Amino acid sequence: MHRLTTLLSGIFLVFLTSWLGLVAYPALHLGRLTPVPDPDNGGSFPPTYGGQAIAGQRVYATEGCISCHSQQIRQLSITTSDVDRGWGVRPSVARDYLRDSTAFLGSRRLGQDLSNVGVRRPDAKWHLIHLYHPSAVCEGSVMPCFSHLFLIRKIQGQPSDEALNLTGDDAPKEGYEVVPTAEAKNLVAYLLALRHDYPLPEAPVKKNGAAK
Amino acid sequence: MSDQPIPKHRVESGRVLFDIKVIDASVRLPVIILFGNAIHWLVIASLLSLIVSVKLIAPGFLGGVSFMTYGRLAPMARDLMLYGWASQAALGAGIWLMAHLCGRPLGGEYSGGFGGAMLRTLVISATVLWNLAVLLGTLAILAGYSSGVEWLEYPSWASAMLLLSFLLIGIWAVLLFDRRSTGRAVVAQWYLVAAFCWFPWVYGTANLLLVWKPIQASAQGPIQSWYCGSLLALWLLPVALASAYSLLPRLLGSQLKRRHLATLAFWMLLLLGGWNGMDRLIGGPVPAWMTSAGVVAGVLFLIPVFMISINLLGVPRKETLVAKSFPVRFLIMGLYALISVGLIGALASLPSVSGAVRFTAFTEAKTQFWILGAISLPLFAVLYESLPQLLGRDCWSPVLTGRHYILTLVGIAMLVSLLLLGGLFTGIALADPTVSFLNITSYSYPFHLMECVAQLLLLIAALTLGANITRALAGDYLLNKQPRK
Repeated sequence: MHRLTTLLSGIFLVFLTSWLGLVAYPALHLGRLTPVPDPDNGGSFPPTYGGQAIAGQRVYATEGCISCHSQQIRQLSITTSDVDRGWGVRPSVARDYLRDSTAFLGSRRLGQDLSNVGVRRPDAKWHLIHLYHPSAVCEGSVMPCFSHLFLIRKIQGQPSDEALNLTGDDAPKEGYEVVPTAEAKNLVAYLLALRHDYPLPEAPVKKNGAAK
Repeated sequence: MSDQPIPKHRVESGRVLFDIKVIDASVRLPVIILFGNAIHWLVIASLLSLIVSVKLIAPGFLGGVSFMTYGRLAPMARDLMLYGWASQAALGAGIWLMAHLCGRPLGGEYSGGFGGAMLRTLVISATVLWNLAVLLGTLAILAGYSSGVEWLEYPSWASAMLLLSFLLIGIWAVLLFDRRSTGRAVVAQWYLVAAFCWFPWVYGTANLLLVWKPIQASAQGPIQSWYCGSLLALWLLPVALASAYSLLPRLLGSQLKRRHLATLAFWMLLLLGGWNGMDRLIGGPVPAWMTSAGVVAGVLFLIPVFMISINLLGVPRKETLVAKSFPVRFLIMGLYALISVGLIGALASLPSVSGAVRFTAFTEAKTQFWILGAISLPLFAVLYESLPQLLGRDCWSPVLTGRHYILTLVGIAMLVSLLLLGGLFTGIALADPTVSFLNITSYSYPFHLMECVAQLLLLIAALTLGANITRALAGDYLLNKQPRK
């Protein structure tokens, strides 16, 4: 072990073990998973994202949503899982992420898990107000305001259809309105598209207590 | 080791031996640039960490501005801690230790092979490039160009700069080893060679597959965990251990006993380190065997940790000597931190514990303890030991050094225990579906409040270190300008 080449080969071989198991194996196997057909309407699982949702992933990344939100429903033991908390209907599996550009698995839950937020909160208006001022719709939330994703502008003629319906302290001055920017709309489209509630061969959805 | 002073260089039984002063002169500038910049990033990272923890108790604090949101500041603080401070200080420590252990100057007329002044210019340019990459990467996160991959948030051009800079610096450390004048290699050198080889491999692979040309996201989870685990266990920790193995016996004036233990621990650490991060995905969307391997690695990791501790804490020491030397005290505390990190890690990788605490502050406690304790404390030791030798005079203020030591230890102990406790409480509450999520948020409030105090202590500690090194380096400048008679 006193020659550089001997030491380097030893180090290389030892390093190779974890690289093969945790980089090469996932790249060759998990990286080649394919969608499964949806028998009911000819689509596929996981469903594809629309254009706005695809753009919304960038906003999710750059705003650092992953600092506080996870996107994985864990199976903790045979009887317990994150499903118990009402965050989903089945554990997440690798195939669920194959439409994503980045797997936002997360490591902290300062906020709620978002794997199924599109199912849990299907209302775009709610999300926009929540992003603009979280505690307006969620008393006691520590989520920061993402007001920089919105514009406060003077109403020109008719008020915009997109203007947020804000009350109390959040309401803009008389004659002004708060409208979402494209980024806010894309982010909400992405959030609404987040769902791990369809059946997959490796992750069936239980209905009325029995596996489908 | 060629510790005994030798005039310039001489040839002895076919080997060229160098004066330690020649070696120090050859690495002086790069090492001082690396350490100096590392400390200023440490100060900034500590300030950001404080702001981030205040935001958890007062979400409106510095609110309403895009670049001051939690989601941008938290990754900025973490990346500055990893790449601005820890990795940069590890580079500085690594080069200094390697040159000393190999008895070779970096380049210069005595290097007998690789160029002199040009090489030094290259290494210094690489250190500047490193800092430029950290600065631009940080600003990119701030401006909303983050990649969104945890710990790899820098955009692709910034991470490419970082990797290039590392290669330009790291290759000389490996070449120094190849051309050493000291004959038989010691364990500290093995750790350094392994660390300098591992960083480019792990950073390059992870960036390639997650940021530069992302592979299908279904495969990203394990790669990301592999990166986080091995960045700490196979790049930063080996440099910290090399510091302990090379400095501790020498500073205590005694010898390392049971060398075979050190050899065995080295290979075990290398083997397990790569698998260690998989406890981040227990129960998650990856094949079960991967997380099982992570559980096994997390528990077995205790074996090399204990072997290293027996090895190094077993070096005979006089307590009077320990009390006098801050590098020794930092190294010993670093070892205690490593043992605790090993125990917390083993606990956290048990599936039942992980199920409750994985997404809570408990995980954060482990990460912080790794970076601030097991890694930073030995790096502080190298800093305090190397600078007087590099400058050729006693440059530290004993008062500031003492304050830095105490503040750092108290800050780390307070932060880690609060995060652990807070994590346990929220973990138990999260496991009970009848407790609402917002209720849990309110449980964590007192812990977050106290964490701010701990972060404030760590900021003051970093500022004290900053003042200490500024004083040390400015003193050098003043001495050069007005030589005392």
